[in-house]
Amino acid sequence: MIHDFEYGVDSRYKNKKERESDSVALMQARLERMKAIPREQIIRAKLLQLKLKMEAYLKEPVYDNNNHFTDFLEMYIDAIYPQRSKFAEDINVTPVFLSQIINNHREPKEEFILKLMIHSEKMFKNVCEFHKKTWYQVYYQEKISDTMSSQEQWRPGIEKQVKISELSEM
Amino acid sequence: MNIEEVSTGKFFPIKIVPVEKADYKFLVKSRYFFNWKDEQNEEVYKLTIKGENEILGVISLERIYAEWRVHIRLLSVSKENKGSKKKFDKIAGNLIAHAAKIAVAEYGELACISLRPKTELTQYYIEKYKMNITGITLSLEVPEIIDLINLFDNN
Repeated sequence: MIHDFEYGVDSRYKNKKERESDSVALMQARLERMKAIPREQIIRAKLLQLKLKMEAYLKEPVYDNNNHFTDFLEMYIDAIYPQRSKFAEDINVTPVFLSQIINNHREPKEEFILKLMIHSEKMFKNVCEFHKKTWYQVYYQEKISDTMSSQEQWRPGIEKQVKISELSEM
Repeated sequence: MNIEEVSTGKFFPIKIVPVEKADYKFLVKSRYFFNWKDEQNEEVYKLTIKGENEILGVISLERIYAEWRVHIRLLSVSKENKGSKKKFDKIAGNLIAHAAKIAVAEYGELACISLRPKTELTQYYIEKYKMNITGITLSLEVPEIIDLINLFDNN
């Protein structure tokens, strides 16, 4: 019975030579196969990659200076469109408006995120499950992360304006 | 991601997380078929049912960045899940799908996973997971790697 064998696999290379010859042969075969991959499959792979990266970010948010929402937005557009202006046209915004969002010179309005949500719904339909709230989650997760990690800047000024008059101590 | 209890057909949600140092004392050869302590310095993940501690499957991976490849070094299910009398089905498939997710997240359209099963299992893996064969190495790339992820994610 074949099932009796399917308890595990030991694929560890026994030596460097075995590993290198495997690498060379496999890479040659893969490069040949890659030539035949249609563009739509490349887009599917890039979109799935984006989804996995967004999920990883939501699971373990990164506190740094990057703007993850716009990084993911760039990845999304570049996965599908050869020119970003085509995406702008498809969601009925100007290329300048889109460029300002991507370059963090303008905050995306709610309408922009709603359009992005609907566009993604259509694009991911034949790729993988992509929850419609994902873009919103990334956007607000980033806001939370930015606010929490920049307390030193905003807290002194804001704290002065906050007092508790009803109860002095709890 | 789920596994199926063979006797009832009931599905149980699973999680796949990195193996912790303390886990290795349970990962003994008599139950997990290989000496997993040898893999302590590698990237090793365990599969459990959500909310439970019992390890049902283990996988050790190597990310080969220069080749956009994740190589499955070692994989095993627990003794009770081997063969025709196994308790749960889809443990190995979920672990392979996990490796596929790591590969796609890292390398996108260039992603590849590879493994080298025993000769008698080669055809089984080719048919079950739609793998390609090069020499004695089996690999999964775009588009089949996406289908595998979807198959186990949506199950």
